[in-house]
Amino acid sequence: MVKDDRRFHGVPLRFAYTPHPVVGMPPTVLRGYIEGKDPATNRTVIDELLEALTKPVAANERAESFAPISRTGTRQALLEPDTEDNLQRLFYERGWTDGLPVILPTEERVARMLTGTSHAPDEVVGEVFLFDTKERVKFTVEMVAVVGVMAGARPEHLPVLLAVASTTHPAIQPSTTPFACMLMVNGPIRNELGMNSGIGAFAPGNLANSVIGRAWTLLTINWGHMRLKKTLWSSQGNPLGYNNMCVAENEERSPWEPFHVQKGLRADESAISIFRGWSFINNGGGASHRSVGREILIQLQALPALYSAATLILDPIVARHLKRDEHFETKVDFARWLAENYKIPAGQFWDTDLIDMLMGPMAENVEPYATWKKLPKDAPIAPYNKPENINIVVVGGETSPLWKTSDFAHITTVPVDKWRAHTAADCADGSCGLPDPEPANQS
Amino acid sequence: MPTATLSAVLNPESQQTVSPIEGPAAQNGNGHGFSTLAKRLDSLNGKTIYLVDTGFGGSTQFLNQLQTWFAEHMPSVKTVRRRKPGNIFRDDSKELWNEIKDKGQAAVLGVAG
Repeated sequence: MVKDDRRFHGVPLRFAYTPHPVVGMPPTVLRGYIEGKDPATNRTVIDELLEALTKPVAANERAESFAPISRTGTRQALLEPDTEDNLQRLFYERGWTDGLPVILPTEERVARMLTGTSHAPDEVVGEVFLFDTKERVKFTVEMVAVVGVMAGARPEHLPVLLAVASTTHPAIQPSTTPFACMLMVNGPIRNELGMNSGIGAFAPGNLANSVIGRAWTLLTINWGHMRLKKTLWSSQGNPLGYNNMCVAENEERSPWEPFHVQKGLRADESAISIFRGWSFINNGGGASHRSVGREILIQLQALPALYSAATLILDPIVARHLKRDEHFETKVDFARWLAENYKIPAGQFWDTDLIDMLMGPMAENVEPYATWKKLPKDAPIAPYNKPENINIVVVGGETSPLWKTSDFAHITTVPVDKWRAHTAADCADGSCGLPDPEPANQS
Repeated sequence: MPTATLSAVLNPESQQTVSPIEGPAAQNGNGHGFSTLAKRLDSLNGKTIYLVDTGFGGSTQFLNQLQTWFAEHMPSVKTVRRRKPGNIFRDDSKELWNEIKDKGQAAVLGVAG
């Protein structure tokens, strides 16, 4: 990846590898890395560093030698005919799957899937940078339909898949850490598709929740973000990546406005929202001896408060209790209360690896971080200084007053409706889909 | 009993159209052209080397050890520690690079991954 990346950026830097990992290793180990062998070359790392600074630039390190990457040959549109078993093996061995069998995307199945949208099959949905081959590619409606078939989706799911694909956001990030995403659907399309926002909403068992989330993973694989040991080096991986917590918000049972309305859409519009982070805490019990807020403050201790982001998923029982009994009229009110009442020592904040890595530079000259950095380690700070980054959504079937607490940040919310198939209202004069009439006079 | 043959199965990778290649600048995600490495130093003795901490996990501790190694083995080399400003993943600030050009003769950036 490093070699490809420098080629892509046109910067022929010299580099050396140390053994992995570096993070968390004691000084003696790190010293050993410097004086020990580069695992890629078997040469001593310090010798490579010194040579990198002193050895004259060679001809093959000049800019001109870094030719642009281009795709050679034409990738066949149709695979060679074969048995189902052999094709399943082919898909798996080519790295096109999530490890599970897929529905093979025959022309007939893809054509049927394409009836789920009014957009032409060759319409470009977006452009992405393929992480494995370092090419920029445009992908089409048809490509998303192919992946949708593979995931087991039906035509009616396609508008949601297209909305997700149009964000070009990968479901899984090529990191050594276990990134994960949550995909949430709002608006009327939830019920049209029979999505689950109630009992067992995050559990296996619902077709729409399962296949929509899975299709996003397969799309991500196709974009090169999840080639194990080529672009994905997540040390343990994250099991959420199988369907990305695909869920619908339980708008009907929530006392508050739906999430997509908070983001500026109308309630009667359908939308998808993407959240991303690493960790979820599932509650095993309710707030019997402390308030819900105080319970959540305890759970937040386990999360890094990175960029003030958190996402809470509340069962409707909990949401209604917070509004009725604790007087949090809106989601924003509760987020603000959490932000004001969650306090930790400054040292606990800055000594968190993620905070140091991603927010450390802000301590140079951005407030309040610059002030926080100068405080004694035991001085209290309120790290959720941007309550607008605390997201609250309502999901659940009201069998228990439970919730989930996570470090997930909100990434984007985009509308779905533009990707729908033609409706009766769109085709009021009945002529939609008919070919253009021939000119009246041809002479 | 032999399994039936399936034909007309679409290749998922065939649906991607590569953006046209218009020259080196088009290949660089930052819109820059290709660069050539700067001339190397004849010797490090008496030179100033910047050790730039990218901020990635372990970078600070690793560069601490590298700085100690230079102090022990090449005491004529002056090492200057700096943390890369701005976003860890973006080339979004020129101040440090300008400082290195002005006051240093070489730089080691670490670590990534």
